[in-house]
Amino acid sequence: MFRPFADWLADTPLSKTLQDQAWVVPTSQSIHILAVSIVFGSACMINLRLLGVGQSGRSVSQLSKTLVPWMWRALAVLLFTGLIQTVAEPVRQFVTPMFWAKMLMIIIVASMTALYAKAVRRNAAAWDAVSSRPWRAKAFAILSTLLWLAIIVCGRFIGYTWSFYA
Amino acid sequence: MSVEALLAIIEAWPISVAMRGEIPGTEWLFPIIETLHVMALTIVVGSIAMLDLRLLGLASRNTAVSRLTAEVLPWTWTAWSVAAVFGTLMFMAKAGTYAGNLQFRLKFVCMGLAAVNMFVFHFGAYRQVARWDGGEPPMSAKLAGALSLSLWIGVVFFGRWVGFTT
Repeated sequence: MFRPFADWLADTPLSKTLQDQAWVVPTSQSIHILAVSIVFGSACMINLRLLGVGQSGRSVSQLSKTLVPWMWRALAVLLFTGLIQTVAEPVRQFVTPMFWAKMLMIIIVASMTALYAKAVRRNAAAWDAVSSRPWRAKAFAILSTLLWLAIIVCGRFIGYTWSFYA
Repeated sequence: MSVEALLAIIEAWPISVAMRGEIPGTEWLFPIIETLHVMALTIVVGSIAMLDLRLLGLASRNTAVSRLTAEVLPWTWTAWSVAAVFGTLMFMAKAGTYAGNLQFRLKFVCMGLAAVNMFVFHFGAYRQVARWDGGEPPMSAKLAGALSLSLWIGVVFFGRWVGFTT
């Protein structure tokens, strides 16, 4: 269904320009990985704290206040570099279910993170103490970690599976 | 024994043959190991970036450097060990090719320099951390942060480029 659109996109002058520059995709992918490091590193630190692992550090609300803005910045970089890679190699992206699974999971985990950040902002005291932390905290921590891991798997496997569908 | 002979012996090991997917059932081994390597390296780079940005005064400014170090570094080292194990497995698949690859060599030059930078910082500016723990780090600490960040960006870039040049 997306194949005609991918073929059309691959034929546009913008896509052809990106394809002609051999350094564009590897450079974009490198920046993409650096941004993944910020997002996933931050997510892991927050989630480990929510699960009560490593008690020596900052409170949940402090940690979120510092790290969540960095996650949004890095996510913007991911969107931009991902867009470059998609325009440069549209067929590679659109034909494999890995790409679509990744996009769906990003929407879910980003929405979850926004809701989480809002909840912590609204009631920092309750989230900081282990005893009064809502039950949703653990569910969020586990689910968001699993989603980010699955997103990384799908991202890497786009490159290994697309040729089966093309 | 020459280095070439040693690399050839490594490539002939059964586990190296499996990493190349040449044994039935191991076709997906390399992509799986590579994905685990990427997961681990994002934790390494993400956690180091948090410390570097703190040293540069760009993030976590209200957290003491020593506290952040204690909070983050155990995860950095754990993830680094995991990345090193999976990275070694990937190297074994095509030891000769990687050893002769420019980007691969530059990646390890960057990592070596990052290690030197870490030792200089640890036995230099960090010994007087009590003096500047809660506030603005001295110029030598800022320099260490900037160098570390640049070198680890180099590690990620050259690491990704290995995949495009081998």
